[in-house]
Amino acid sequence: MSLTSTAGYVARRAAQRERVRILYRRALKDTLNWAVHRHLFYQDASELRERFEVHKHVEDPDTIDRMIEDGEAQYNKWRHPDPYIVPWAPGGSKFTRNPTPPSGIEIVYNFGREDHLED
Amino acid sequence: MALRAAILRHVRVPVKTLTLTGRKSQPWGPNGASLRFLSSHGDDHLSKDEVIERVLSVIKSFPKVDPSQVTPDVHFQKDLGLDSLDNVEIVMALEEEFKLEIPDKEADKIDSSNLAIEYIYNHPMAG
Repeated sequence: MSLTSTAGYVARRAAQRERVRILYRRALKDTLNWAVHRHLFYQDASELRERFEVHKHVEDPDTIDRMIEDGEAQYNKWRHPDPYIVPWAPGGSKFTRNPTPPSGIEIVYNFGREDHLED
Repeated sequence: MALRAAILRHVRVPVKTLTLTGRKSQPWGPNGASLRFLSSHGDDHLSKDEVIERVLSVIKSFPKVDPSQVTPDVHFQKDLGLDSLDNVEIVMALEEEFKLEIPDKEADKIDSSNLAIEYIYNHPMAG
């Protein structure tokens, strides 16, 4: 058809590619959350990769959009309820645990030198 | 009370401030007390060489990559002939290696080992 390689088409395909990459990234992280043992993770990751590779050569943007939405729906269905998040990141266990105190505050250790206090 | 205080003042042992050689001098506040910074993370930064070495070792251990072609400014898709999905896998492996959490938009832009090294080196929490 005549709309292959207009700027709009190229931009749309690029946006779709980005969506696919982000979807693959999230699905891979989710696979790691579900499959704790590394050898299971490798098998599941290979299967996920195969599923993405099967549809690699589709050219029609509408089909691609529909497949991406299918993929995102499946991802949402399989999301892990308690994902592993790096501790210092938002949602992790150490997030805002020990915030750096405001800069004007200091702790003054002057035990034994409280001259001005007499009881 | 005043008598007790006077006796104590008389008996008090003078405080000697020892400075140990080879130790970082700690900042002193008013009244001669010492300050302690209360941050629990983010103090130690990796050196650039270490970052480069670890990033390259991660890339070299990727099964689809030829280890002899990996240099500090190699482009994943153009020079190594990898796929965009392989790019995603490499970024995930780097995240696991350095215990980072890279947001999705940033991770999408990491296309070459140059960018990866820059990003990790400038990240405050790179472990």
